[in-house]
Amino acid sequence: MIEIVNVSKWYGDIKVLDNVNETIKKGQVVVICGPSGSGKSTLLKTLNGLEPFQEGDIQVDGISFSDPKTDFMKLRQKMGMVFQRFELYPHMKVIENITIAPVKVLKQDKSRANKKAMALLERVGIPEQADKYPGNLSGGQQQRVAIARALAMEPDIMLFDEPTSALDPEMIKEVLDVMVDLAKSGMTMAVVTHEMGFAKEVADEIIFMDEGRIIERGTDKSFFENPKSERAKDFLRKILI
Amino acid sequence: MNFEWQVITHNFTFLMGGLVTTFELALIAIAGGLALGILVGMARLSNIKAIYYPATLFVNLMRTQPLILVIFWFYFFMPLVLGRPIGDFMSASIAFIIFEASYFAEIMRAGIQSISKGQVEAAYSTGFTYWQTMRYFIIPQALRNMLPSLITQGVVVFQDTSLAYVIGLREFLRSANVVDAREMRSVELYLFVGLVYFMVCFSMSRVCKRMELKKGNA
Repeated sequence: MIEIVNVSKWYGDIKVLDNVNETIKKGQVVVICGPSGSGKSTLLKTLNGLEPFQEGDIQVDGISFSDPKTDFMKLRQKMGMVFQRFELYPHMKVIENITIAPVKVLKQDKSRANKKAMALLERVGIPEQADKYPGNLSGGQQQRVAIARALAMEPDIMLFDEPTSALDPEMIKEVLDVMVDLAKSGMTMAVVTHEMGFAKEVADEIIFMDEGRIIERGTDKSFFENPKSERAKDFLRKILI
Repeated sequence: MNFEWQVITHNFTFLMGGLVTTFELALIAIAGGLALGILVGMARLSNIKAIYYPATLFVNLMRTQPLILVIFWFYFFMPLVLGRPIGDFMSASIAFIIFEASYFAEIMRAGIQSISKGQVEAAYSTGFTYWQTMRYFIIPQALRNMLPSLITQGVVVFQDTSLAYVIGLREFLRSANVVDAREMRSVELYLFVGLVYFMVCFSMSRVCKRMELKKGNA
């Protein structure tokens, strides 16, 4: 479904992605972890074209990013994204946050979009917040709205960029529960996170990045129990205290 | 000193006619200047050199010219360009829109920059185009953030319209001037004009202050 082939990216002289290769198959959940500045968020954002890269290629459903005819607007409609800082539209109500893309991008009928948005809010457990503004919601609620907003486009792939890093500890679980649910429903997911509990529960593969390179990869068990690289051992020691 | 305030009441309709013209010109200048200013403000943030440089040149050119000169330019140049006279109101409108756009553009540029890049990414990630992203998410938030500055600029524009006097446009100040030429009652007339400008501008700035307080509480 997603094929990353020899991708490298520079910011000026600094190489932020160094020859990255990875395949994400349909229905797979891939967790990307690593220390900050390791390039994991940058890698995630290359997947839907938010971050350009200089070398290599990415293919999503056979559509190559290096093809100048590739329509990223079209591609992104099928790839939902959830951000660390939620990025809900503060000037719109929760329900409008969810319906605006289906209505304006997919030209869906407004009442149909509303109905679907309510069903999604139900699914993430906060239908009663529909008519509030994002600023009046807790962080955990906002992030759940953000997930509903992405799901409203009926994406085939969901990208999560540290979805729980900006949350108070007591709100992390409510967001992770929604993500676990989503993973179990068969959604293809790429998740940048340090939540190793989540990784253990649903990840099909974990990749560990450092200095723009994938230095270790494995299924959950092999990665947690027996990391090969010193860097990964060190990292796991620090976050699993 | 003895005042003869009847000069106001006797010429009230005529003076109010001038005030209406002032309001019309101010409205056109604010609406047109803001619309053009939003586009120029966006252009000032463009990565594309062919868009960024002309917009920057435009803003710097306009902001280094006295408004009165810009009004003259358009009054004398527009007929040359178009091959026919366009009238004082039309030429003043164009001059104001273009001049004020450069000020609104800088306010909007700051406004757009005040919105986090994440908002753009969020919109892009659901398939919105650049123009849609600007229209639905960035510009509305930028306008809201910059409302106090925009209203302040609106007050300035309202006062600036009096400069259209120089090309003979019969706005509020010019109307008073016409009456004065006939009735020789400068003190009463210009006191009255000053009072009206004060009332309009002061109430606009009160609205602005209230909005700032409201925003601070939110």
